[in-house]
Amino acid sequence: MTAGTRLAARQDVQAYAFLAPALILLVALLVYPLAQVIRMSFFEITVRDDRWVGLGNYAALVQSPAFWQAAWQTLLFTAGSVVAHLVIGLGLALLLHARIAPRLRSLFRGLLILPWLLAPVVAGMIWALVLNPFGVLNGFLTTVGLLDRNATINWLGDPRTSLLSVTLVNVWRSFPFPMVMLLAGLAAIPDELYEASSIDGCGPAGQFRYVTLPSLHGVLATVALLDFIWTFRAFDLVFVMTGGGPINSSQVLATSIYFDAFQKFQFGYASAEAVAMLVLLMIGSIAYLRRAVPP
Amino acid sequence: MTAATGAGRRAASPERRARRGAAGRAAVYALLALATAITLFPVAWMATVSIRPNVEVMKIPPQWIPSVVTWQAYAQVLGSSRYLRTFLNSYAIALTVTLLSLLIGALAAYALSRFRFRGQRLVMAFLIVTQMFPLVLLCIPYFRVMVRLGLYDTLTSLVLVYTTFTLPFCILMLRAYFAEVPRELEEAAMVDGCSRLGAIVRILLPLSGPALVGSGLYTFLLAWNEFLFAVVLIESWENRVITMAIYSLLAEFVTEWNMMMAFSILASAPLVVAFIFLQRYFVRGMTVGAIK
Repeated sequence: MTAGTRLAARQDVQAYAFLAPALILLVALLVYPLAQVIRMSFFEITVRDDRWVGLGNYAALVQSPAFWQAAWQTLLFTAGSVVAHLVIGLGLALLLHARIAPRLRSLFRGLLILPWLLAPVVAGMIWALVLNPFGVLNGFLTTVGLLDRNATINWLGDPRTSLLSVTLVNVWRSFPFPMVMLLAGLAAIPDELYEASSIDGCGPAGQFRYVTLPSLHGVLATVALLDFIWTFRAFDLVFVMTGGGPINSSQVLATSIYFDAFQKFQFGYASAEAVAMLVLLMIGSIAYLRRAVPP
Repeated sequence: MTAATGAGRRAASPERRARRGAAGRAAVYALLALATAITLFPVAWMATVSIRPNVEVMKIPPQWIPSVVTWQAYAQVLGSSRYLRTFLNSYAIALTVTLLSLLIGALAAYALSRFRFRGQRLVMAFLIVTQMFPLVLLCIPYFRVMVRLGLYDTLTSLVLVYTTFTLPFCILMLRAYFAEVPRELEEAAMVDGCSRLGAIVRILLPLSGPALVGSGLYTFLLAWNEFLFAVVLIESWENRVITMAIYSLLAEFVTEWNMMMAFSILASAPLVVAFIFLQRYFVRGMTVGAIK
């Protein structure tokens, strides 16, 4: 053994000694449970014993219209949220990045971050209050004449509007994250790029198109993927505001899995559903992984 | 940072530029004020509902200003030992989780930023992947494991589970900070006879104060706001946390809006107060992990 490899081996031992507590905890409480779920998805789980059913749970899953409905609604909820988050986040980040007084900038930034500090449960409750059929939104809309007094909208209780309402609330709660990230991204663009582009005859629109957007590409991609993952697995808001209803019109995968497991006690079936959800998420995550781990 | 947007308008005359700049700034302020007003309206509405009698909540057209101000809803919440207990539980859990995550996380982050070792890329990839697990997937096995271990309906189960999902985030955030602290400082201390652990405690950690505050605050926020695992793993009122209490209020007292809003405000206050004083660290913490 040369001195070099001995040194490398000592580094390995030391590094893993420091990593040990974290790795032990994560293996015990993330990797092992994950293996458990995958195992359970091949079984029918009852109080007394687990019965092997092979791919039975998965066969039931793909034949279930409720699963496909939840998957489709999760996709709508996620895509709508992410796109709105990026557009609003970028717009506000550009405003905050403009030449304004630094104290006012941090005041506005602080106020705009507020929804993100609230627990999703709290956000859900606030909006249940606002969106109530007799709530302040309908009250406002009738006052300004956009809505007839006798035809108010039951935002959360009508299957036609429930998913849209839940999505809008999620947009409200989570846009601050992209906003803050994109603001940091804007701050990192070197001034020279703007100077060079203006020498080349670029106006503000051209600068946005040829300097700002390309420079933000990395941050935008990262934020979009993180937001995709977080929104795709979101549970609290939907559970609190609609419970997936009425008649499953706002059911997403996370709430559907919860109900199958903890109300219908079909643990095997719910496990298969969870594995399917993980696979869908992984498709998005692989793209993120490629970005996040430098070679 | 401030110079970027207006930097490239050399061609216009100075006066025209100044006039356009002032008008532009006014427009920016107006748009920001509008966005802030829309964003904060629901929160402001919640605040007024918490201090008005319940009969004045659901009205069309809305009663914008309460006719009388009453603190009765707050008295109802704070006078109930059952609700106070949930606050105590949330504080205990969130603080324990924060300390544990920072401690275990700092050790792991140290290894990732100061050593080159076999499997390093794999560990990094593993940490990033773990953040993507749908938490609802973990609920099913957690439920069974905690029942089997006799930890079902205990605060310990929540501390364990919360630490697990906050830890990868803490590690990645602290690693990014540690990488910015020059390692020569620690090496110098070790040459002077400091042990490795001594160098961490005396040199690295004091220099990483903002990092610890930032990731600690974010961990606290995650633990304080968590709901799903609490619903799955906790049963009795004695062990419930605030998010569960809020949900029970919504389910049980469907119409007592003023009390629900008072509870929500009390439940959000610690985070908002911490944020006001620590905004800088918090924003840095949000961005450092992902911008790299």
